Amino acid sequence: MSAVLSNFYLKIQVFMTRENIQNEIFSLFREHFEIEDPGLDDDLKDVHGFDSIDAIELFIELEKTLHINLDQEIKKDAMLHIRTVNQICDYVEQFLPREDAVSPCAMSN
Amino acid sequence: MDRRVVITAEASITPIGNTKEQIVKSLAEGVSGVKPLREDEFLSEFVHSKVFGTVDYPIDYDFDRKYRKTMGPVAFYACQVVKELLAKAGLDQEFISSGRLGVAFGSIHGSPLMQREIYKNLFDKTSTRFGSVRAVNYLKSMVHTTAVNITRMFQITGRVISSSTACTTSSQSIGFGYEMVKFGLQDAMICGGADEYDTTTVAIFDNLLACSTAYNDRPHLTPRPFDADRDGLVVGEGSGAILLEEYEFAKKRGANIIGEVVGFACNNNGGDLILPSLEGISTVLRVGLDSAGIGPESIDFISAHATGTKMGDVLEAQAIERVYGNAALVTGLKSYTGHTMAACGVIETILTLYMMEKGFVAPTLHLDQVDPRCEGINHAQQLFEKPIRLASIQNFAFGGVNTSLFVKAFDS
Repeated sequence: MSAVLSNFYLKIQVFMTRENIQNEIFSLFREHFEIEDPGLDDDLKDVHGFDSIDAIELFIELEKTLHINLDQEIKKDAMLHIRTVNQICDYVEQFLPREDAVSPCAMSN
Repeated sequence: MDRRVVITAEASITPIGNTKEQIVKSLAEGVSGVKPLREDEFLSEFVHSKVFGTVDYPIDYDFDRKYRKTMGPVAFYACQVVKELLAKAGLDQEFISSGRLGVAFGSIHGSPLMQREIYKNLFDKTSTRFGSVRAVNYLKSMVHTTAVNITRMFQITGRVISSSTACTTSSQSIGFGYEMVKFGLQDAMICGGADEYDTTTVAIFDNLLACSTAYNDRPHLTPRPFDADRDGLVVGEGSGAILLEEYEFAKKRGANIIGEVVGFACNNNGGDLILPSLEGISTVLRVGLDSAGIGPESIDFISAHATGTKMGDVLEAQAIERVYGNAALVTGLKSYTGHTMAACGVIETILTLYMMEKGFVAPTLHLDQVDPRCEGINHAQQLFEKPIRLASIQNFAFGGVNTSLFVKAFDS
């Protein structure tokens, strides 16, 4: 496994706790959507005016930031059901390596 | 149905100011808005023409992010003038969202800056993911981005016309808006156009050898419409909007009426897409007069398209002489602003309305020695204090599109 890829998996493995994910999402909201520290259960549309255009942009940013590829059907489903930061965290978590999973880094060693 | 159509508000961002006071002062004192071309780390270092009709004053945009997120620079210009327009007009929100107010607004090709952003991502060899081509950038760049960002920001639900016919974009906006109101399809129309700072436009005209290059060290002396020493056009940036209303509706609500649109014509040369046509221009002027139901002798003032190109000015002067003779005063207002592209028709209409209100005709700047081929018409070479009762604003575009618009001082 290349060093670059190893570092990437290592980064996800080490940093992507629930809190890390939340912080990444807060950072994206701040930088790209001018939304400062939304409440975890705020309805993003009603409280912050976060609309479908923003949601599409958020997918792109999540894919870039977390180095994940989100399937089109999954995105469509998410567009229908996700309303809060907590739900975004739940959504993202399922695409990241679990904490108890064996590190791809460790496998290569 | 054939209704009177009046102008009840105007707003603009131009190289010579964004308030009536600044613009009138520039016209009266002969101040040019042409400046050195700004560096953009793109084409500015390569183009030969180093002059530009420049908006170099701060603009207090106060748009919420939910609107900004779909706006490129051209939409900022467009929405800002419409914000000011609606503030002046005093229309209530119920009417604005009634479906009886429409928008006719365009730009020559949306936002070139955002288009470059799309292409940059698309052709980035390090990225193989089409997801990098962002939908939101399309909304910022698309050809009707000005019109629909206006509708979104102000919750306008009426008709949308977004012409994109190069230099006739906003004169078409006004003309088509006029026809919407005149024939009862809408009660009011916001009409205008905008174009952002962009060196690709400069490059296109530069490559056609149509840009001014001889005055790079003296930007304020070019363009020079009809002058023997003219050497081409100067690209510029800006935006303008006017509000057209059906007369009875405007009167009933106590609107401040600043002029009346009485005629409009649009045609095509039916031939070359670049070279102007004497026949095409002459015809659009005649058809416009017919649509206004007036004779050529009624016109006091002609705002010529007059870009300062070698052939365009000659053919326009010949067409004016052929149709109007040499009675009406003729001014090339681009000598003040440069060629603001999609915005030129509406900006020149607004400048004409200001001169109409103040009772003067500004001269064509730098018209020191009239090109003999442009003689035969009544060039304004100095400021004339005289009332303008009926004015013709004419514009001609790449693609062979021509427009003539007729504006009258309001008489109840």
